[in-house]
Amino acid sequence: MERIFVTLLFLATSCLYAQKYTTKTGVVKFEASVPSFEEIAGENKTASAALDTATGDMAVLALMKGFRFKVALMEEHFNENYVESDKYPKATFKGKVTGLDVAKLTATGGSYTVSGDLTLHGKTKKVSDSAKISKSGDKIVVTGEFEVTPAEFDIEIPAVVSKKVADKVKITYSFTLAK
Amino acid sequence: MKKKLTITLAVVLVLGAAAAYVYYGVLYKEGRNIAQEAATHTLPAAKLVETYTTNQQQADSLYLNKTIEVQGVVTAAQDSVLTVAGSVFCSFDQLPDRASLNKTVTIKGRCIGFDELFGEVKLDQCTIKP
Repeated sequence: MERIFVTLLFLATSCLYAQKYTTKTGVVKFEASVPSFEEIAGENKTASAALDTATGDMAVLALMKGFRFKVALMEEHFNENYVESDKYPKATFKGKVTGLDVAKLTATGGSYTVSGDLTLHGKTKKVSDSAKISKSGDKIVVTGEFEVTPAEFDIEIPAVVSKKVADKVKITYSFTLAK
Repeated sequence: MKKKLTITLAVVLVLGAAAAYVYYGVLYKEGRNIAQEAATHTLPAAKLVETYTTNQQQADSLYLNKTIEVQGVVTAAQDSVLTVAGSVFCSFDQLPDRASLNKTVTIKGRCIGFDELFGEVKLDQCTIKP
């Protein structure tokens, strides 16, 4: 009951904040391919993101089960052995865009520093990158990429496959946010 | 002589079959086909959301990664997404029929978890049950 109330309260406040831009179909990709070995990549097309343009606060949530792979076995290993998605079903990011001014956003876009906490596999790490933010019509488009290592999030890559999995995992994201 | 040849042939065949099995059956096996799977749970969309908002861990243990069917009114339709009962987010691999908007439907999909940002339960690889 209390949780329902909190959810309602959250919804009510988010309605009041007209500066909030959101999407439920954000794209988050990760790639850990090593040249000349099989491509290791997954894509999540149903990530949620919210950007408060008044404060620059940004929140992203990607459900781990939502990452899809070309190879079914790879998806199985990702879920069961690496990110343990039954135990840790989501990855979240909570952070801030520095110096965001909606009035100054252009169609070609500019670079902004996005920094905050990335939580996945039960571990939280500070991440920071340079995102490209542009405005197209009444929508705000945020794209960027950064690198993390599996070790930072306590994800162990077995020695047998460690040559085929890159040390640095590249994460790219693209959010088309609407009011 | 002939016997030797038969044995060699048999060995080659068995090895070939084993290699093919490992290749197609293990390494490159087909993924799940949610549209073909039978649902493990069938429930009203509102009940699914209620279960998640009351106790996420328990709801995850019941529904996460399972093929489920939810019933409810389609409250929003946008691109490949239908929203049922305001808070079950159903994403489709094939564009869903927009005519289902405001109608009561049964949607089958894989439950991928709860999104606290919007207070929604998300399903992927959805199909509308006729």
